[in-house]
Amino acid sequence: MANNVLHVENVTMQFGGVVAVDNLSMDINEGEIVSLIGPNGAGKTTAFNCITGVYEPTNGLVEFCGKPIVRNHPQGKMKKNYLGQNPDMYLGEVVANTPDIITQQGIARTFQNIRLWKSMTVFENVLLAKHMNAKQNVFSATFRFNKKEEERMREETMELLVQQGLDKYKDEIATSLPYGLQRRLEIARALAAEPKLLLLDEPAAGMNPQETEELTAFIRQIRDDYNITIFLIEHHMNLVMDISDRIYVIEFGKEIAHGLPKEIQKNPKVIDAYLGG
Amino acid sequence: MLNEKKKLNKGSLITLIIILVFLIATIVLENTINPNSLLFTVIRKAAVYSLVAVSMNLLNGFTGLFSLGQAGFMLLGAYTYAILTIPNDVRDIIYYLFQGSSFHVSTVGFFEGILGDTGVAAFISMILGVIIAIVAGGLVAALVAYLIGLPVLRLKSDYLAIATLGFAEILRAIFQWDKLGKITNGANALRGYPTFSDFNIKAENGATVLRLSSFIPLLFAGICILVIVLLINSSYGRAFKAIRDDEVAAEAMGINLAKHKMMSFCISSFFAGVGGALFAMFASTVQAKTFTSAMTYEIFLIVVIGGIGSISGSCIASFLYIACSEWWLRFLDNTQYINGTQLPLFRNGFRMVVFSVVIMVIVLFFRDGLFGDKELPDLFKKRRVKKDGE
Repeated sequence: MANNVLHVENVTMQFGGVVAVDNLSMDINEGEIVSLIGPNGAGKTTAFNCITGVYEPTNGLVEFCGKPIVRNHPQGKMKKNYLGQNPDMYLGEVVANTPDIITQQGIARTFQNIRLWKSMTVFENVLLAKHMNAKQNVFSATFRFNKKEEERMREETMELLVQQGLDKYKDEIATSLPYGLQRRLEIARALAAEPKLLLLDEPAAGMNPQETEELTAFIRQIRDDYNITIFLIEHHMNLVMDISDRIYVIEFGKEIAHGLPKEIQKNPKVIDAYLGG
Repeated sequence: MLNEKKKLNKGSLITLIIILVFLIATIVLENTINPNSLLFTVIRKAAVYSLVAVSMNLLNGFTGLFSLGQAGFMLLGAYTYAILTIPNDVRDIIYYLFQGSSFHVSTVGFFEGILGDTGVAAFISMILGVIIAIVAGGLVAALVAYLIGLPVLRLKSDYLAIATLGFAEILRAIFQWDKLGKITNGANALRGYPTFSDFNIKAENGATVLRLSSFIPLLFAGICILVIVLLINSSYGRAFKAIRDDEVAAEAMGINLAKHKMMSFCISSFFAGVGGALFAMFASTVQAKTFTSAMTYEIFLIVVIGGIGSISGSCIASFLYIACSEWWLRFLDNTQYINGTQLPLFRNGFRMVVFSVVIMVIVLFFRDGLFGDKELPDLFKKRRVKKDGE
């Protein structure tokens, strides 16, 4: 059995009276490519946001490489209004991390709608992902005492850009690139953070079939090249079935199925959810 | 890489030459033409304002935090500077309404005690004392910014602006408070501390040998702006820009928002405090009532005219703005006669009307300010890039 990278246990996210993610549990092992699918509004991105610290889930536990990164139980007003399950299971210690800390621990992500820094060049966009791990402080950086560190960051960035085939665009403003390349750049930026787990939120959104195919090969390749685990949300079924080792399906925040791509394809619940049966 | 460095140098080199020519021209002019010319008032005030504008730009333009507390931090810097440098022997005269000051440390006096208080030694101790007091002014402003920032930096956009503006007003009120009169001299002015004209080098008999009173503010402001430029081009500067462009993405890429925002806020306030100290030297009296929100708006206007996110824009805009308001448009305020008939409209206050129209024209036709987010070296680089493309 491979090492467990991400362990999600009974995560519930409730906004007011709406339970967006309902008692979701999943496990992702090292080196796997796991997909999370579901109809629109099923709560996939919310689940991502709970894992990466953008939202603090109402209840539940998320562990990364055996270390809890998020742990919460219904508190305050939520105590009375909580509609989910297991309200008493995670009493006690509350672990809440901001997204930057979770990224520093080794989870990097991309966004559904591309979020590149629009005033910066391709090179700077990737370079900045190195900022968090650089050995420097604001004085050494201002007065250029961190020359070695800065050079190392620049070299690593250049190396990564060459690997990703983005080096010829390095001085262009990030948002002036064609859409497909912007997606790629966003993934490159996430890789620059040297993650163990990469979360991709609809990487193929807005891509044509050929681009999607290229992306499929690309995702596999980065998994092998950088030795990372990939967890993705996607709507393109071709891509999902092609690439995934395992698939989780959710609808209305609840998991309705999980398993190998072949099993999911035949699962009547999944077919119902997608065809609205 | 080498090629890139060369290209960068070309634009920067021209900018550097322009700055040097300007500095030298200032020294030469100051020692050749009438030193009471308005030109020098403009240069001194604009140098101070450009530093404060750049510090505001660091916050508003580069970190995307819309803050309007600049006048408050300038006030802190100015008072700290004045309180620290007023010579002990005139202190009690200045604080006569409060039966003397409760603060009896003068940095200049301290160095004079060590180095001696005559001739060159006095001059050097004055410089050292002034520099230390200026830095102290900045540090006090940064410290207060830290304390204010703890609650306030959780706010975003307009709310942050309102909160910081409020804090600036509160600070002004506190400094005018009678109970603190022994330290701040209440609502009365502080004076008697070293000003820019004390930097003029004098001969033994008291005749001025070399005038530096306009060069010194340029030098001080220039050094501070250089530090800000270095900061903006460093890894932290890039992180600030990332926060401005997209906070969510910045946080997802491991940038600690709270820490970086606080850093930017404190550094900006530090330089606003230094700017305040320089303003005290320029004005030669410090009074809390000068640091109103109108002053913040003036500075904000300079930032907008120069281009939000452009350092050189802020500097050039502050020179233009101060020159317009203090010098070029002055004549509009005076009654003018042509052939003995008095012209209508030309009376006190007309200047501000014309000035407002000029600003409206700038805002309408240069929506991004004079420079947008470009810098001076970029303007010289542009042509080269086009050539490369051909």
